[in-house]
Amino acid sequence: MLKIDRPSRPVAIEDLLDPQLVARLSAIDVTSRKILSGKLKGERRSKRRGQSVEFADHRQYVEGDDLRHIDWNIFGRLDRLFIKLFLEEEDLSLQIVLDASGSHDAGEPSKFLLMQKLALALGYVGLVNLHRVTVSVIGGADADGSPQLISAVRDLRGRRRLTDLARFMLTLNPGGPSPFTEGCKRVALARRGKGVMVILSDFLIKEGYDTGLRLLLGGGYDVYAIQVLSPQEIEPTIGGDLRMKDCEDGDLTEITITAGLLKKYKATLTAYCNRLRDFCAARGIVQMTIPSDQPVDALVLDYLRRRGLVR
Amino acid sequence: MNFLTPGLAAIVAGIAVPSLLILYFLRLRRRDVEVSSTLLWKKAIEDLQANAPFQRLRRNILLLLQLLVLAAALLALAQPQFVGSLGGGERHIIMIDRSASMQSVDGEPDDATGGTTRLDAAKKAALELVDRLREPGLVGSTLGSVGDQAMVIAFDQQAERLASFTGNKAELRRAINSITATDAPSRLKPAVLLAKAHLPRRVHVDDRAAQSVTFDELYEGGATMHIYSDGNLPDAPEVRTQAEDSITFTPAGQRTAWNVGITGLRAERSFDRPANVALFVGLQSTRPEPVRVEVQLSIEGRVAEIRDVTLPAAVVEAAAAPVAPAGAAPAEGEAAANAAGADGPRLTPVNRGVVFNLDRPDGALVAVQLRFPGAPAGGLGDALPVDNLGYLVLPPARRLNVAMVTPGNPFLEAVFVDDPAGAQAAFNLARPVRVVRPADAQTFLGTAEAAELDVLILDRWLPTAPGPDGKQSPTLPTGNTIVFGAVPAPPLGPTDQGEAKDIAVVDWKRDHPVLRGLNLDPVAISPGRKLELTPESPARSLMLGTAGPLLLEYADVDRRALVVTFDPIFRSTWIYEPTLPAFIAKAFDYLGRGGEQQRATLRPGDTLTARLPRGVADVRVALPDERESPLLPSPGGEVNFAPLEQIGVYTVSWDGPLGPTDVLVGGRARRAMTVNLLDAAESDVATRAALPMASTLVQATPTDGRGPMRLWPWLLLLGVLIVLLEWWVYNRKVSL
Repeated sequence: MLKIDRPSRPVAIEDLLDPQLVARLSAIDVTSRKILSGKLKGERRSKRRGQSVEFADHRQYVEGDDLRHIDWNIFGRLDRLFIKLFLEEEDLSLQIVLDASGSHDAGEPSKFLLMQKLALALGYVGLVNLHRVTVSVIGGADADGSPQLISAVRDLRGRRRLTDLARFMLTLNPGGPSPFTEGCKRVALARRGKGVMVILSDFLIKEGYDTGLRLLLGGGYDVYAIQVLSPQEIEPTIGGDLRMKDCEDGDLTEITITAGLLKKYKATLTAYCNRLRDFCAARGIVQMTIPSDQPVDALVLDYLRRRGLVR
Repeated sequence: MNFLTPGLAAIVAGIAVPSLLILYFLRLRRRDVEVSSTLLWKKAIEDLQANAPFQRLRRNILLLLQLLVLAAALLALAQPQFVGSLGGGERHIIMIDRSASMQSVDGEPDDATGGTTRLDAAKKAALELVDRLREPGLVGSTLGSVGDQAMVIAFDQQAERLASFTGNKAELRRAINSITATDAPSRLKPAVLLAKAHLPRRVHVDDRAAQSVTFDELYEGGATMHIYSDGNLPDAPEVRTQAEDSITFTPAGQRTAWNVGITGLRAERSFDRPANVALFVGLQSTRPEPVRVEVQLSIEGRVAEIRDVTLPAAVVEAAAAPVAPAGAAPAEGEAAANAAGADGPRLTPVNRGVVFNLDRPDGALVAVQLRFPGAPAGGLGDALPVDNLGYLVLPPARRLNVAMVTPGNPFLEAVFVDDPAGAQAAFNLARPVRVVRPADAQTFLGTAEAAELDVLILDRWLPTAPGPDGKQSPTLPTGNTIVFGAVPAPPLGPTDQGEAKDIAVVDWKRDHPVLRGLNLDPVAISPGRKLELTPESPARSLMLGTAGPLLLEYADVDRRALVVTFDPIFRSTWIYEPTLPAFIAKAFDYLGRGGEQQRATLRPGDTLTARLPRGVADVRVALPDERESPLLPSPGGEVNFAPLEQIGVYTVSWDGPLGPTDVLVGGRARRAMTVNLLDAAESDVATRAALPMASTLVQATPTDGRGPMRLWPWLLLLGVLIVLLEWWVYNRKVSL
């Protein structure tokens, strides 16, 4: 919960992605509850009939059809021209959205670090499965420290692009206010195709997360909202007479920590998370809340698999 | 439980408690922390702040604990204490009896009483009272925190103020500890008078006349008199107090204490054979069983005789009728009844006399000592050792040589001339009185016979001498003179302002040796002279009438005279009173025998007065404890020494001529004087259970031996403990 004065930032890819985990991630893939069409042929079966080896159906030949797809065996038996239709294997667009507002640069271990690790692990899974991987970051600061609305790497594909992805991830610098709604709007406008969208945030957004999440719905995307909270936010360890400063907007709140207040805080947190979960459930978003002290491998290989994000 | 300084605590509470609450609301000091988001906290606070702020306070255990700490500190500031009976009064008068009977030792050293003297017990009880006095506030005597004040008076025959009203306990303790026992008898009245003298007078404010009247007789009441005594205060029934005064009496000693003492000691020479001396020793026993004592007579330090005396058991009196309750209106006459009945069963002391017959023409110092054959070795025998000793200076057998100058006086001649043998016996004269007529008197005074006279009576005649204006005027001869119906001229005598009629006696010096025991009220004079003493006159007025002095005393180095300014025979009714011959006899004793009567009756607490011959030097008095004190004679040759605290022999010694009864020892003249207790009341040492006073009967308050229990240190300790608890709570974030 408390903002860390000098957070340790990851400097190498190994800080974000354990080589041992890499091997285990190669075996899994990102799933979608929908079968999605993509621009490039990928390893994913598309609804669209296409040029894969997997037969789907026949239909009558019409002028202009590719003669290579005529089923000559049927023509021989029936003397009519039929076109063989194949299920086309398509690529999948994996959109990973990180909220890099100042509130994420807090907690022990840092919430943003876990979000980086998780994003890279998922991105790696997407890359090795030849999906189009796009990572968008809402908020945060650029190298000069000035706040920025959005930054992204788009349409990475293939294992080789892992370094590009990692390099981008390592440049991220959380801070500043949270332009969540505006960021979501940009992400929604910029995305193409269909696929899976994973939103990583603590969802402690003063302007509210409702509008932003609504903007991300639809468009053929399967949306996963992963809420990352630090252990200190879940079980506060502070006490005494305090003047709390919000690290995002500098808002001051005078507060005296008492057991009653702590109880009230926990009740408020639970209610907040429940509301998020209900909001998401009502809109077909898969919502998860994970503490920032969870190990990434267990999360990806076990938790996310159980929740259906990977298989 | 009461509070010593409730006002101060209330004021501080009025400031501190709201301050603490305000500080709590203002929250002046908060720790700054930067958090990821205040979103949830704000929501949580909003929910809590929906409740009233006081409910927030209620749930705040830290504030609660701080209020507790404050409450403990404020209570400590109010100085609560548990005390016995002491409470409301603000002025306390501690009166401690230091008389002879307070030297009594009750019980054996291994008893509960510890074998200490009664004075020690009284002082201990008084110190406990001082401990219980309310102190002013911790930070001085601000509003409502004025402490109690106490005054310390020690009294025997006289009262002495050792500390005036003060709240300084150290000073009071010092005063109480400084009290030492004397051998004097006890009188409560001077102590009460002294106490009253230090109380502010009562003031009556008359609104209509817009003036205030101060009453000298009435004082601001509300003082509590604490009397620490064994209750042997014979004058207590005469002591009056105001209704609002409260009096406590803390008895010291045991009611069962018994004592045998010498209560009388007198020596008388036989008239016809002056060498024969009868020495009377009066004994008093308060022991309920018979007691055998040895009376040992020592003359000049040598044991002369030991007499075995068995005193019978003291009579136990049954309790008298129950005393009226304290609320009943006390009557004047009740005090005596109180005195008799208040104590319950009471011993009436038995008295016995022992007579020693001596044959001694010379003067001697006689000592009488009581010894108890049955007493253990080193033991005291009875409770009070002081009265087991008695001293007496036995005057040498001396008969007076008296002459009289009279123009003819049927009364004086009837007394001294008509029956010479009777007069010789009655007044203890060496030979019949020589009568001289005024015509021959001036010549007679120059003869050797006149120089050997012990006393010269001058009836309506005085020798003359040239006065300051050169004229012959009446004066006093040298030697010892009694003058009737004549006064010396000024400046020696008073100024004559004409004739006065119907002169009555107003007052006289009742304690003077020549007037002691005489009632002169019935004497009336008419006509007499209106006289007025000038300041230059060396005379001292012993008797005062409506027209000036009636009896003058001259006491120079070579002249001592008693001048009766009126004619008692022909111009007054004194001739019909038996007090006239008594006065003459006392005057003979006083002038002719050097006032030995006075010497025989010295008591502890009295003033030793001795008139020394002319030309003495290096006068010293040796006290019974062998200390010596220098004395400075007055121009009249008088030396005074006071107070006489111990019984025993006081010896005045000097270089120079000897008086008629003085002895020469080691080249120095000596005159011994004795001080004896000889007080039946003091010798009756049984502690009284109640003190009967004129308007009330004061029951004894037993000493509870329990000092006040001060609570403020405990409250401060409690406050510290709560602070520790608060620190723990602060770190653990415990909630109610």
